[in-house]
Amino acid sequence: MVMKKLDVRLLRMVKHSKGQFISVTVIVAVALLIYIMFNMTTINIGNAVEHYYGTTNISDLEVELIRIPQTALSDLKSIQGISDVQGRVSVDVPLQVADKDEKVRIRIMSVPEGGGKINKLYAPKGELPELGDDNVILLEQFAKARGTKTEDIITPYINGRKHNLKVSGIASSSEFIYLMENEQALLTDPKKFGVAYVSETFAQSVFGYRGYYNEVLITLQDQDNIDDIADQVEKKLDKYGVKRITKLEDQPSNNILMQKIDGIKQMSALLPVLFLVVAAIIISIMLSRIVNNDRMAIGVLKALGYSNNRILSHYTKYALAIGLVGSVTGIAGGLFLSNPLSQVFVSFFNMPLAGLQIQYSYIISGIFLTSIFCIVSGLFGARGILKIMPADSMRPEAPKAGKRILIERVTFFWRRLPFSWKMVIRNIMRNKRRFAFLVLGLALAYAINTVPLYMSNAMVTMFKVQYEEYQKMDYTVEFSKPLNERAIKDISHIIEARLIEPKLEYPFELTNGWRKKAVGIIGAPQQTAFYKFVDRDNNVVSLPDNGIFITEALAKTLNVKKGETIVIRSFLPGKDDVVLVVANIVKQYLGSNAYMNIDVMEELLLEKDMVTGVNLATDDNLKEKLKDVKNISAVRSSGDIQESFEEYLDTMIAAISAYMLFGGILGFALVYNATIIGISERTNEFAALRIMGFDKKDIYGMIGKENAIMAGVAILVGIPLGSGMITGMAESFSSEMITLPVILTPTIFAQAAAASVIFTIIAQLATLRKIYNLNFIEALKSRIS
Amino acid sequence: MMQKSILMKVENISKNYKMGEISVDALQEASFNVYDGEFIVILGPSGSGKSTLLNILGGMDLPSEGRVLVKDEEINKYNDRKLTAYRRDKVGFVFQFYNLMANLTAKENVELATEMCKEALDIDKVMEEVGLEDRKDHFPSQMSGGEQQRVAIARAVAKNPLLLLCDEPTGALDYKTGLLILSLLHKINRQFKKTVIIITHNMAIGDMADRVIKMRSGRIVEIKENENPIPPERIEW
Repeated sequence: MVMKKLDVRLLRMVKHSKGQFISVTVIVAVALLIYIMFNMTTINIGNAVEHYYGTTNISDLEVELIRIPQTALSDLKSIQGISDVQGRVSVDVPLQVADKDEKVRIRIMSVPEGGGKINKLYAPKGELPELGDDNVILLEQFAKARGTKTEDIITPYINGRKHNLKVSGIASSSEFIYLMENEQALLTDPKKFGVAYVSETFAQSVFGYRGYYNEVLITLQDQDNIDDIADQVEKKLDKYGVKRITKLEDQPSNNILMQKIDGIKQMSALLPVLFLVVAAIIISIMLSRIVNNDRMAIGVLKALGYSNNRILSHYTKYALAIGLVGSVTGIAGGLFLSNPLSQVFVSFFNMPLAGLQIQYSYIISGIFLTSIFCIVSGLFGARGILKIMPADSMRPEAPKAGKRILIERVTFFWRRLPFSWKMVIRNIMRNKRRFAFLVLGLALAYAINTVPLYMSNAMVTMFKVQYEEYQKMDYTVEFSKPLNERAIKDISHIIEARLIEPKLEYPFELTNGWRKKAVGIIGAPQQTAFYKFVDRDNNVVSLPDNGIFITEALAKTLNVKKGETIVIRSFLPGKDDVVLVVANIVKQYLGSNAYMNIDVMEELLLEKDMVTGVNLATDDNLKEKLKDVKNISAVRSSGDIQESFEEYLDTMIAAISAYMLFGGILGFALVYNATIIGISERTNEFAALRIMGFDKKDIYGMIGKENAIMAGVAILVGIPLGSGMITGMAESFSSEMITLPVILTPTIFAQAAAASVIFTIIAQLATLRKIYNLNFIEALKSRIS
Repeated sequence: MMQKSILMKVENISKNYKMGEISVDALQEASFNVYDGEFIVILGPSGSGKSTLLNILGGMDLPSEGRVLVKDEEINKYNDRKLTAYRRDKVGFVFQFYNLMANLTAKENVELATEMCKEALDIDKVMEEVGLEDRKDHFPSQMSGGEQQRVAIARAVAKNPLLLLCDEPTGALDYKTGLLILSLLHKINRQFKKTVIIITHNMAIGDMADRVIKMRSGRIVEIKENENPIPPERIEW
């Protein structure tokens, strides 16, 4: 078929305005690239997770208890809906490593003979070895992080005794996709925490669990009645001292994994929309300019008998072309990148890849939505066509009504303004709506830039405040079981501590009506020097004589206010529920706990003089001195946390740079197009100025001034916009485990402003050639379409 | 002289434009007939209302009052869609500044017009008639004014319209080129039996017309029949 001549004209139009066409197309392409790449990646990760959970048969419920006889497990099967039950012994112990200052913990977990049916280990390379009395299978992330290989020996301290165990295999586990020690640990640190799988008989004998387990894994036929079944399990196992029951959705690894996937999903929804909005703004401004320039041509087309609709569709096709070219390249790029990205994610999470998938519905919806976006903005931009009368269009357009503008009334200011600035300001006011749109677009780009700056800022603040203000201890020593307060004295004999405080941390279930949440309640001395409690109004508060402090996140989950009561249910057998007043709601950025006066907690909830650990301020080398002390399960230092946070920051910087780049592309495309449009629209005006004796630099300077005003206003508008985006981001990012503080510092906004100024300048420089090449004299002579 | 059939009846048309608070009477009570195959020149100084009249005849504008009948169809009552169809099928325009599409070649500019018409003429033949068979792949910017105007004429003629309306077709051209364009229009009128209406302020062009309609201040002041129109080659100004 021969191409319609209007379409030929369209193609040549595109060719003629290549720079503009490409710069808008790039925005559309980036939008689609993000959309496809991240959506495909989340689908691939989701599939991989599902597949991995399926093949390893992950447990739906995990019960921690004091001890349960092996024989009692079969009772559970009588509960309707339970499909399989498996017991294990799981204890965290210190691991001896070459560097004496390094504190590494390892979780020793028993595996039934033959590998068991639930939470099966996954070995990508070959078979898993038989487990005996002197060997382990090591979790892959940990082995990798520490450079441990098969045949190496690891040496955990178990009950104060060293055991030399040979690593005879390396495997991954679906319950440690994201290797988290517990909910309190916020970052994965596979160098400092690992898992070693041992035979059941070995674990039971070294930990003193002969014939017993301390954990029960349960799989269900379906997820529908999971809460119900959990309750029944709890009742049935109550006598064995249930500490907590964790559903798969609350399991730390799964929880974080899902959060990451959600985070990617949110990004894949929000960013493309922002990009398309900016593209739509540019397209409509571009088209209204083209239509205006083509007034006469449109008049001729009308005179030739082309209908309004055909002419409108001719120009709208320009927008559609942007949409199609942009979405096709974006989608191709997205598909191309989604596979490696999925692979990176999947291998980062130590999962087998379940095959890569392309969901065509996303491609179709991507093209479809983008096309609609472009068509609508195209129609909006080109709607001026309807108003063009063929007869009028042959005559030169009457000059736009010049009006005095508001600012001129401020005569004091106006009179002192140099002439070129007056022209610039008048010119901006001549097309207020367009100016508003451009400002909006730039403000969006600006706001996009504030988000990553905020994120990095918030993360740093979060850690700083949490570990330098809220929790000031240098070390926390956790006992492997609750001890009498005398243990503190023992420790203070060994260690030279400036300060030592008892710590009691025990899991309870907090309930308010049907809302419930299992958390660790931490007991600390009323005049604690290590913990600082700050309420919502930033007042420092101290632990109450009675009652309990809960964190903001917990208050939200339980839907309680200060002064209301909650019920504390103990997992320990024979303990009654206790009703406590929420004395205050306190800030905690990382983790979610409840706090009590340790004496009150002992009395009301546990036993007198009981402690589960100590907090210390000391310069002593704890690791060395506590090496041979019994009953210590973990020694944590704030330095360790700081270290792993710094590593985490590195990966964040990459993400931030990517984000800034996106904002930069947007801002560049906007300024570039606005400038090109401004130049071509006012060629005649500039020509006149040139004849009057202005040189190229003066004219370029005028455009620069316009852009400067635009960027300035955009930044002003962008500040509230960015604040809103940040608040939204903080809310969507915050979870039960992490509360992202909304910190709006001037630095964030200043840095984002600097980025905006930079891309405005780059875009303006990119148009330099255009204005220097403009033939002003020629422009004055002709007025032919 | 044999009985001439009426192509167009203009009855008492007026046009006034409202510009803010002032109203301008661009055209007042104009009446005349246009016959099939006629060559009419509408003469008048600028502001005399001749362009307004031409725009109304061409369906580019509607009269405020009065009727315009084309083959008994009242085009002043047409809606936008019908007016578009009228322009498409019945009228060919030639403008003072040619108004070609800058990014289409000569031939493509002609095709742009014929693509929509049912009874379009063979484009290559028309290009030959206007003497541009060698220039048809050139872009407007590569052609002289006279050549561009010939493309514009080809564009108007190729549609095979009932009526060719030319708005100052020589206005932007030098004398010699202007004459060539007039000869071309004359040839089209005689050979293709197309009705041609030219508006101009150039009195000399009136000599080649079958009829001259003189206008001043929005009114027709004289309609003069030319017993012996002279060929365009002999016109001088």
